[in-house]
Amino acid sequence: MYSGPVIDCDVHHARSSDAELIPYLSRGWREYVTDRGRAGSVPLTVQDGFPNPHGFMRADTYPDGGGEPGSDYLTMQAQLLDARDVRRAILTFGDDSHLAGHHNPYFATELARACNDWSIDRWLTQDARLLSSIMVGSQLPDLAAAEVRRHAANPRMVQVMLVDNPFNYGFGHPVFHPIYAAAEETGKPVAIHGGAGGWANPPSTGGGSVNTYFETHVLWPQAIQTHLVSFIAHGVFEKYPTLKVVLIEGGSAWIPSLLWRFDTEYKGLRREVPWLKRLPSEYFAEHVWASSQPLEISPKREHVIDLIRSMQLEDKLVYSSDYPHWDADEIEYLSTRLPAEWHSRLFFENACRLYGWKADELKKPAAVVQSAK
Amino acid sequence: MVDVGPVADFEERHFRIVMAGDHEVGVLRWQDRFFAVHNRCPHQKGPLCLGVVSGRLHGSAPGSMEVDDETPVIACPWHGWEFDLERGRALWEEGYAVKVVPVQIKEGRVLLEIGKRTA
Repeated sequence: MYSGPVIDCDVHHARSSDAELIPYLSRGWREYVTDRGRAGSVPLTVQDGFPNPHGFMRADTYPDGGGEPGSDYLTMQAQLLDARDVRRAILTFGDDSHLAGHHNPYFATELARACNDWSIDRWLTQDARLLSSIMVGSQLPDLAAAEVRRHAANPRMVQVMLVDNPFNYGFGHPVFHPIYAAAEETGKPVAIHGGAGGWANPPSTGGGSVNTYFETHVLWPQAIQTHLVSFIAHGVFEKYPTLKVVLIEGGSAWIPSLLWRFDTEYKGLRREVPWLKRLPSEYFAEHVWASSQPLEISPKREHVIDLIRSMQLEDKLVYSSDYPHWDADEIEYLSTRLPAEWHSRLFFENACRLYGWKADELKKPAAVVQSAK
Repeated sequence: MVDVGPVADFEERHFRIVMAGDHEVGVLRWQDRFFAVHNRCPHQKGPLCLGVVSGRLHGSAPGSMEVDDETPVIACPWHGWEFDLERGRALWEEGYAVKVVPVQIKEGRVLLEIGKRTA
């Protein structure tokens, strides 16, 4: 089993109640949310989604002292950060990650700002290994870009995260470009996280909506595929040549077949996108990473390995546990499914390349705390 | 050399298919220059020169659509794969190409240099 240093690129931190976030809203928005008398507060999270028959969390991740999984630092520290040699863990929020699914764009923008401040205040101060995603209300891209720039000087706010889709256009559409301009300018990758199914309009499945969590979970890669194709076709990487993108929780075994098809289609349909200068797979190779979870389980171990190897994805996969969710991938488990010669890249080095960290320095325990501050 | 007819017989921007040796060759007049390629797409052997001829479309930025009329491009009628007629190269990969036949104009006649290797 792999026992070296680990960077975990998808850790869902959560809050136990709305009361935890409300202090981070502006005074006006606090009034808006709370001043409803017996009606209670305005819900802060998008009220939609498919129920999971098991619940969405590992049963053992509920903190002993109460609260939601992912909401208690000490529980996370014991179960995740100290359980392995975790050098860095990137926080990706819980239900708040769906804030771009809110109908009210101004509320979403304010929630994004508040969530980011909450993340810094409540989490990044607890442990130097923790880093946070930046949530944005992508309904208002200019304000979303301003939120990204607000964190420009904070190296622990490491990426801009997109989940729900407010516009019914792939994320490569120019309406989203102000966000990418800010991401490139601040040197922060864009993370596209799967799982908008049921929380947003449009549905995250091609061809129509599905009806069970089972279906939507099988089809999570579809939305990510849409955004990946959209990013490349719209020339986002021509316009923002140093931008990096990481696809989170969409798996990876589909990537080769999509890129093979994408390259072939480009040969016949280049006239429609003449601003592209290279094959789609070449843009992918330079700009795109993918998280490992959930690793597809092929009946024979070598089948998924062959697929990953066919596009050299062993150099682009970054480990993600998805803690504390029910479908999380354990390091022990991945170690048995993927070749040992890939482990140091998968669990550590690829993420260093993605986020621009010096692997040699980060391997030194003393340097972890200093460089993360 | 294979004489494929007088210059005046070639309509601007239209391929004319001729037999040259054992091969069908498409001959194109483009802004009073002549280009010739094998009428056989390297992809799936489609009749390449029955496709659409145009200038080379390019975009200096996402969303822009510009045309370079200096360089004619043929798009195969079967799958739309495009080739630069100057060198025969696919627009997405220089190493992938259709065979080009050098053309000479002498005394008002169009002559194909069959068998001559091109760059």
